[in-house]
Amino acid sequence: MAREEDDEGAARWAVRLDAGPISATQERELEAWLASDERREGALLRARAALEYLNRGRALSGAFHEEDVPRRLNRRSMIGSLMAAGAAACVGVLMLFPRERRIDTEVGEIRQMPLEDGSVATLNTASKLSVQMKERERLVRLEGGEAWFRVAPDKTRPFVVQAGEVRVQAIGTAFSVRRRDEGTDVLVTEGTVEAWVVGREGDRKIITAGSRGLVEQGVPIAVATAPEEIDRALAWRSGQLSLDGETLDYAVAELNRYNRQKLIVDDPALGRQQLVGYFYTGEPENFAKTVAWMIGAEVIEDGDTIRIARK
Amino acid sequence: MEPDRDLEMHVQTRSGIIAWVGSNIIPFEGELRAWLRRMRISEDEIEDVVQDAYLSITKLSSVAHINSGKNYFFQTAKMALFQRLRRERIVPIDRLVEIEALKVADVAPDPEVRTSARMELERVRRLIAALPERCREIFELRRIEGVPQREIAARLGLPEHTVEQQAARGLKLILKAIAMEDAACEARSQRPKEMPSGARRG
Repeated sequence: MAREEDDEGAARWAVRLDAGPISATQERELEAWLASDERREGALLRARAALEYLNRGRALSGAFHEEDVPRRLNRRSMIGSLMAAGAAACVGVLMLFPRERRIDTEVGEIRQMPLEDGSVATLNTASKLSVQMKERERLVRLEGGEAWFRVAPDKTRPFVVQAGEVRVQAIGTAFSVRRRDEGTDVLVTEGTVEAWVVGREGDRKIITAGSRGLVEQGVPIAVATAPEEIDRALAWRSGQLSLDGETLDYAVAELNRYNRQKLIVDDPALGRQQLVGYFYTGEPENFAKTVAWMIGAEVIEDGDTIRIARK
Repeated sequence: MEPDRDLEMHVQTRSGIIAWVGSNIIPFEGELRAWLRRMRISEDEIEDVVQDAYLSITKLSSVAHINSGKNYFFQTAKMALFQRLRRERIVPIDRLVEIEALKVADVAPDPEVRTSARMELERVRRLIAALPERCREIFELRRIEGVPQREIAARLGLPEHTVEQQAARGLKLILKAIAMEDAACEARSQRPKEMPSGARRG
């Protein structure tokens, strides 16, 4: 049946496009294949989207591979130099790159997005990002929330993250940026970044692997070394919250970022209780029950909210 | 379907749309098929309707205006079904009315009932785990660990085109599984008797 063949062809092309840029000959073959039946375009979309769906396994499990960031152009990539490699491989003539690309996540969603330059952005819950690949600069605007970047090395085009007035510049490294009401956190897991605030360019701070930079309004950028803390702070990439003596108030504020069903702590004294352990960010009711047991409180579930109250 | 397609849509962010379809449409395909099956649409027709739905999604120039991928997918499929039924006159008109009366809103998900990230991860893992040995190995390396195809070939001591062939074979099986998945779930939970017996379309 023709549909079987279409699925087979679609699977073949989807895998081909996923492996890297395609040659001019292959591009013509693909066009011919698509042209022979209108439905094939739908079949190809479905196959490529299925691969993307499976990729979510990677974002959600937080696993990354060093070499996943293609930096060298391989021998087949004549057009590749223009199109940039990576999982975002595009169908030649049909698909051009946009000037600006927007990536948003919903509450509770964690999403990994390969960028055109071979870098990878992993967005945490309820975050907004826009990406512009310019000739001299790779510009990423974090409009809200939090994202972790693994930057493909390219000395000729610095990778700059804008978070309001805060700028974080990297050449080839891995780091996260989080916008909070009080300021912006920069956590560096690999390599080195440079951070500054627009208008205060004189106060530039170098932040190296294992360090965190705190950029707040009107205060010099504070840099501290805290490799373990950084690992814990980035547990969200695998859907977890790691606590090591943080208060219940803090944990509840963190979990509420991920869920529509909000946790509420009734008693200020309860809120100051310190907690230790790993919790799934997407399971507020389990969190509440476990914590209630740990600190001897009780849980009252009420539709939109889960209250942790004194017994 | 418009024969004359707007070139503009191709210029749009294709990779973004593909990723969006991956996370907002693909997870609901099984459910859509189950829904169509409940309306006693034949397996062949279902296949056509699903294909039509994907085809119309390729014509989208942006997905920014779509709130619920699932809702949109069902709506699109419903339209495709109508067009098909009208064109082919394969069902009596009263069935058409009956189908028309079905509100897509009825199948729309509660905003709260978004599958959790962990459930989704489990589902992805399950899909990959069901693959034959070699395919599974390649998929785990490529999709979960993100190892590039070239390096997978080197690690497994296989020519790259063999890895690609295996990956294509695996993807074809995954596409089948995605179509079947919710049907299987539903057979277990809701309507044990109604499951179509025997093989699907040959």
